[in-house]
Amino acid sequence: MHEMSLVAEVIKLVSEDANERGIVKVTSLVVIVGDLSNVLPEAFEMAFFYLRKQSRGVVDKQTELHLIREEAKAKCHACAQEFVPDYRIALCPVCQLPQSELISGETFRVESYEGCDAK
Amino acid sequence: MKIKLKEDVLKNQNKAAAFNRELFQKTQTFVINLMSSPGAGKTTLLESTVKALRDEFKIAVIEGDLATERDADRLRELGVDTVQINTVGGCHLDARMIAKKLPEFDLEKVDILFLENIGNLVCPSGYDLGQDYKVVVLSVPEGNDKIPKYPIMFRRTDMTVINKIDLLPYVSFNLKEAEDDLKTINPDALFKTVSALTGEGMEEWIRWIREGYQTCVAR
Repeated sequence: MHEMSLVAEVIKLVSEDANERGIVKVTSLVVIVGDLSNVLPEAFEMAFFYLRKQSRGVVDKQTELHLIREEAKAKCHACAQEFVPDYRIALCPVCQLPQSELISGETFRVESYEGCDAK
Repeated sequence: MKIKLKEDVLKNQNKAAAFNRELFQKTQTFVINLMSSPGAGKTTLLESTVKALRDEFKIAVIEGDLATERDADRLRELGVDTVQINTVGGCHLDARMIAKKLPEFDLEKVDILFLENIGNLVCPSGYDLGQDYKVVVLSVPEGNDKIPKYPIMFRRTDMTVINKIDLLPYVSFNLKEAEDDLKTINPDALFKTVSALTGEGMEEWIRWIREGYQTCVAR
């Protein structure tokens, strides 16, 4: 996958917002990663570890990353049963029908960050 | 201080996709994002498609590869306006790369634009380019098990085109299983079988593009 570029994207989003608010240093940030978002948490953490060292902006080598996993959930169209889907067989465990709607698990979002306005 | 940002990581990418889509609607350009693993035959499918449609439509192509202009050259030989994107190490095309290249075309005059993505059955599926349809090509030597093994790609695409069906007698590819797996993963997906090389099955694919173009112009 492409976690390096995704981390760069996260740093860019946070830096832009922090600059607008006059925040000079970001101490920690929280990112939500859905189980079906196509992002590997371990690879994302590793990429963050390397990229924060190179960052010249508000994110630096002390910035902490907190990943929150979002579990995948699907809801069956026919019987409204909620279940944890797997992409390979997204069948409802009750009625065995495929047309389930994915209700969570695809989120990939910067939830929040903490910063201060003086170093 | 704590800031609640609540922003999608792909926000800027998705903004660029919306920009592209709006532009394509304004210029009435029908756009197909063509994806597959390397070697499934995207460029060969494009060559055959161009030959079948070039008298009716003005066709343009954006080619994505890590390196070289080889694919772009193949299409230029057929008289198609083609722009090559080299991502160097990048594993997918994103909407911003496309947006940057669009000024190189006179889109008002382009009827159909093909975006040939980087050969990769994983990453390109996550990026909206602003296209009308996402199409994934799977060639029979790859095996029909690739549909359940790479489900994200097949779940997020509008059509699966099985290519190189002229090789079916020589490889163990089960068409029925492929179609059944696709229906389980993505019940709305279309399923077509072609050999871009021999032309088998191409009429149906070409007819689908014609209809897609008509729908695009009518909106």
